[in-house]
Amino acid sequence: MSGGPYSYSYIFKYIIIGDMGVGKSCLLHQFTEKKFMADCPHTIGVEFGTRIIEVSGQKIKLQIWDTAGQERFRAVTRSYYRGAAGALMVYDITRRSTYNHLSSWLTDTRNLTNPSTVIFLIGNKCDLDGQRDVTYEEAKQFAEENGLMFVEASAKTGERVEEAFLETAKKIFQSIQDGRLDLNAAESGVQHKPSQTGRTTLSNDQQPNKDTCSC
Amino acid sequence: MDEILDEVGSPEELKKFEAIYNQQLEEHSVTTDATFNYAWSLVRSRYAADIRKGICLLETIFNEDREQTRRDCVYYLAIGYAKLKEYSKALQYTKAFLNLEPANLQVQSLDSTIRKRMEKEGLIGMALAGGAVLALGGLVTLGLALSKK
Ligand SMILES: Nc1nc2c(ncn2[C@@H]2O[C@H](COP(=O)(O)OP(=O)(O)OP(=O)(O)O)[C@@H](O)[C@H]2O)c(=O)[nH]1
Ligand SMILES: [Mg+2]
Repeated sequence: MSGGPYSYSYIFKYIIIGDMGVGKSCLLHQFTEKKFMADCPHTIGVEFGTRIIEVSGQKIKLQIWDTAGQERFRAVTRSYYRGAAGALMVYDITRRSTYNHLSSWLTDTRNLTNPSTVIFLIGNKCDLDGQRDVTYEEAKQFAEENGLMFVEASAKTGERVEEAFLETAKKIFQSIQDGRLDLNAAESGVQHKPSQTGRTTLSNDQQPNKDTCSC
Repeated sequence: MDEILDEVGSPEELKKFEAIYNQQLEEHSVTTDATFNYAWSLVRSRYAADIRKGICLLETIFNEDREQTRRDCVYYLAIGYAKLKEYSKALQYTKAFLNLEPANLQVQSLDSTIRKRMEKEGLIGMALAGGAVLALGGLVTLGLALSKK
């Protein structure tokens, strides 16, 4: 009864952060719907998206909170950092200022999440290589110095978008297996749902999710 | 996207924004930001009284402020009313928003979440009424839930 396509054994909470207009909502949309939104309005407060993925044979539900980059929402969006297992920190490779602000995003993230939170840096809009304002090498170096994972991606073409979300999950899963991430800690950002028979409540709230039907 | 309606903020967070707002109130210089932050954290509360208070504040800002903040207010007014299960009011706000910005996916998705919720709760209500015998109600509801899978 429980086994169906909507069951999963873990929930990971993600946040997506970064300056306004860097493409956070487009990355989320590309990941959950495999579509690009050419004209995306600014996010109001926070948006939410979800998708079930598989890591090492385990089904994991990602609960993704996409925060608004506009300054006036900053005070409230900060409250979504708490208890994130993964943080995708995004800048726009064609706008240097969005890269320059990374250290302040990083400080916020470190202060508001826990030491086991996996932070993944994404240089978005890599399809616009002609307008590049930040080199791959310097961003790579910044990532290494700060112990972040890093890719350049494009929400437009979909290039390396999956990779960013999935690699983050793999790293979190590894931490669970190594025992570095304590599942019982209130703010680990991970929930374990041991699969049992008859867990109808779990499958009930899954109806709107069409992402797993891709087989 | 039920999570948008189900998530709750932390009480500490609410206290923090409340303190800022109250202080500004005492100094007779309340900023829109402080009001909005406080209102948002009220709407995220698990208690209906808080949500109502949040709605009140949002309506105040909505009536006195600029275009930009109005747009934000409308969105959170819809969430607030939906959390109170006043769905038709909530839908008035999403509808008003979509009249101005028909392509806004964030609001489209909130709108459809509210509609789904309305439907779901309507169905359960009907099942209970139709079951006549109260003890049967539970079974009917369960049956419905299962048959929908
Ligand atoms: N060429 C190109 N354009 C992109 C890409 N990703 C996003 N955009 C465009 O950049 C603009 C901003 O994208 P959003 O996803 O709304 O940015 P955001 O970070 O969510 O912005 P806020 O919600 O205000 O914080 C939109 O017009 C997108 O179409 C990309 O990979 N390539
Ligand atoms: Mg956005």
